[in-house]
Amino acid sequence: MVELLLLSRLQFAITVAFHFLFVPLTLGLALLVAGMETVYYKNKDETWRKMADFWGRVFKINFAIGLVTGLAMTFQFGTNWGAYAEFMGDIFGPPLAVEALLAFFLEGTFFGAWIFLDRSRQKLKAFSMWMVALGTNISSLWIITANGFMQNPVGYEMATDGSKVVMTDFFALLTNSYVWYMLVHTLLSAYLLTAFLIMGICAYHFLKRNNNEVFRKSFSIAVTIALVTAVLLPVLGHGYAQYVAELQPAKGAAMDAIWETGSSVPMYLIQMPDSSTGSNSVQLLGIPGLASFLYTGSFSGTITGLNQLPQAELPPVEMVFWSFRLMTILGSLFIIEALLGLYLQKSGKLYTSDKYLKLLMWSIPLPYLAITAGWIVAEVGRQPWLVYGLLKTANGISSVSTSEVLLSVVLISAFYLILMVFEIYLIRKTVVNATGVE
Amino acid sequence: MFDFLTHDMLAVIWFFLWCVIWGVYFIVDSFSLGAGLLVPFIATDKVQRIQIQRSVGPFWGGNEVWLILAAGGTFAAFPLVFSKMFTFLYLPMMLLLIGLVARGISVEYLHKDDNPQIQKVLMWGWFAGSLLISLVLGVAFANFFKGLEIASGGVYNGTLPGLFGPYALIGGVLFVLMNVTSGALWINVKTEGAIAAKAGDLAKKSTPIVFVLVLVYLAYSFVGIEGFTTNYSTTPALYLLPVLAVVAAILAGLFAKKNKRFPAFCSNLLAFLFVVQSGLASIYPYMLKSSVSLEYGIDIFEAASSHMTLSIMLGGALVFVPIVIIYQLWVYILFKEKIKETEQVDY
Repeated sequence: MVELLLLSRLQFAITVAFHFLFVPLTLGLALLVAGMETVYYKNKDETWRKMADFWGRVFKINFAIGLVTGLAMTFQFGTNWGAYAEFMGDIFGPPLAVEALLAFFLEGTFFGAWIFLDRSRQKLKAFSMWMVALGTNISSLWIITANGFMQNPVGYEMATDGSKVVMTDFFALLTNSYVWYMLVHTLLSAYLLTAFLIMGICAYHFLKRNNNEVFRKSFSIAVTIALVTAVLLPVLGHGYAQYVAELQPAKGAAMDAIWETGSSVPMYLIQMPDSSTGSNSVQLLGIPGLASFLYTGSFSGTITGLNQLPQAELPPVEMVFWSFRLMTILGSLFIIEALLGLYLQKSGKLYTSDKYLKLLMWSIPLPYLAITAGWIVAEVGRQPWLVYGLLKTANGISSVSTSEVLLSVVLISAFYLILMVFEIYLIRKTVVNATGVE
Repeated sequence: MFDFLTHDMLAVIWFFLWCVIWGVYFIVDSFSLGAGLLVPFIATDKVQRIQIQRSVGPFWGGNEVWLILAAGGTFAAFPLVFSKMFTFLYLPMMLLLIGLVARGISVEYLHKDDNPQIQKVLMWGWFAGSLLISLVLGVAFANFFKGLEIASGGVYNGTLPGLFGPYALIGGVLFVLMNVTSGALWINVKTEGAIAAKAGDLAKKSTPIVFVLVLVYLAYSFVGIEGFTTNYSTTPALYLLPVLAVVAAILAGLFAKKNKRFPAFCSNLLAFLFVVQSGLASIYPYMLKSSVSLEYGIDIFEAASSHMTLSIMLGGALVFVPIVIIYQLWVYILFKEKIKETEQVDY
């Protein structure tokens, strides 16, 4: 039973993490490519056509994997999380079905149209890409609506026999505050990831002294997006974190590993939590009252510590803590990199600042890391709950045999690994050859 | 919303919609699966491969969403069925998943790289994915019509080899050949040159085989499958479904023979649609029929979501399904030109 639970969780973690490697870039690039297609349609400037072609090609390769790996997500709710599906179907099913109806059809249908429309039908081509962008971005609203219920159940009642939740207010599912905090945070981080990927690829070409206008223009768009999103993420994320701490005190306390209840809680710059002792084995450089301020909005605010919360309902503290730290440190780095980029570009030194350009290139994976860390905070931080306060993760799995799940974990992992290698190979080749840019 | 409908009425409406959505998926994905099944055998060079790829390229992605809608719709309207269907058929579903991923990636990446070796691997990936999807679905639906080994208390006693009885195998072969025929006729309709002629010839040979298979499958269903005729006895109008299936299969053969490609293509799809609907009509009110004893099956009333969920979903479907159909049809019009041999564009 324990192995089955672990394997089921492992499989879900692998498939969702893998799927989500492709989603953020799809969200961001769809909008950008749609914009480029439209500008080209309006001004017939070849630079914009080349931009649409080049980034469109990256988009195609990335989108295909996002599309097919998304199927695994739908399937798994039934195959591996059958008990969850029965418990939650009344609430969780509708957003998924509506997502297919409103978003997937738009994405799937117009993606095909966009690829195969040639430039003689530029208006339709641009329109198709806007529909793809609309579809992908609407999709995130619906899946987060479904996830929002797991984090903060609203608009439901328990069935009389307690076996499942029943929807009482569909509108409440959509107006769930968690959904909107999460949606803004997710979309911003997706746009940030896209911007950093574009900057990194441009940096690669600048380093090769290929200052083609396609890359110069792309860079200046990307650096602006990077700066805006990098600044907005912590500004809005602060409110989100406060909200989460209020909603799920255990997750909140685990994010900064606050063990004991207190007021004017400091935040330690160097800290190492240890859940076996229920304390920090190292804590240095405390900034007085900062944690209280971040959690409650007041430097003297009170935070409930992990040791004062129900012990059976704590998430794995170290994992949540380190993920949160990683995300915030990377977030700070993104602001610095974006500011620096804007400064270098304005002062005209960008194309020769090799150190900075190299940094940008190596920064391409960082937003991916930050996003995954953020997901770990949100999802692992909710443990041991699958649906917060209503259903434990251990009670959500299907009654299938351990060997079946083991087999599927191995099969899926191997298959996904091949896909990823191939995808990176194709994108790398596209980027290095700069197909169609010359 | 829909307060004038009782919960049972909504459940029945959703069962009907469920059958429609599956039916639509089977026919809209049929020709792209068929193209995948055929491509390694009929395309002699890259030019022809690109023709086949282009004939389905703009459509397959949007069409596959009908499958996601079928799964998502099952989840929303009949969560219990969704859970049990995927849990009972765990390994087949994983195979289906792998097939879907392989097919999708192969079609999209087929010519993204110049290396002929990679192109070859992807062509076979496209084939293998299409075969897996067609087979798994054919076998799975035959098992749904026949009933799964669900014992008392909803305990599933079925095994993987147990799913591959003779009836299920005929079902699997039928799905594969249906798709092959749709694919051949589609390529015949959508392309020009040698590949079109070759596909047309193939369809002439495969339509009679499909007709025989339809007859065998239906005969087996009515004679050899327990409980299959129950609904037909109480509602004889249902006999229209298998009759239409047979008529459509005959017409497909006749049209194909007379080189009336598009009518042949449509007839073949209708035959497919009506075969599937003949089976689905037999299991009502069960969605997961039990082959052990009828009362152990999971019926639509037991599995259905709440009145609110069913009615919200119904409202959503009534508004958005027509919109989806309109823009999907628009894309077919957008790409109505036949695909010539000379075209070699980078996809």
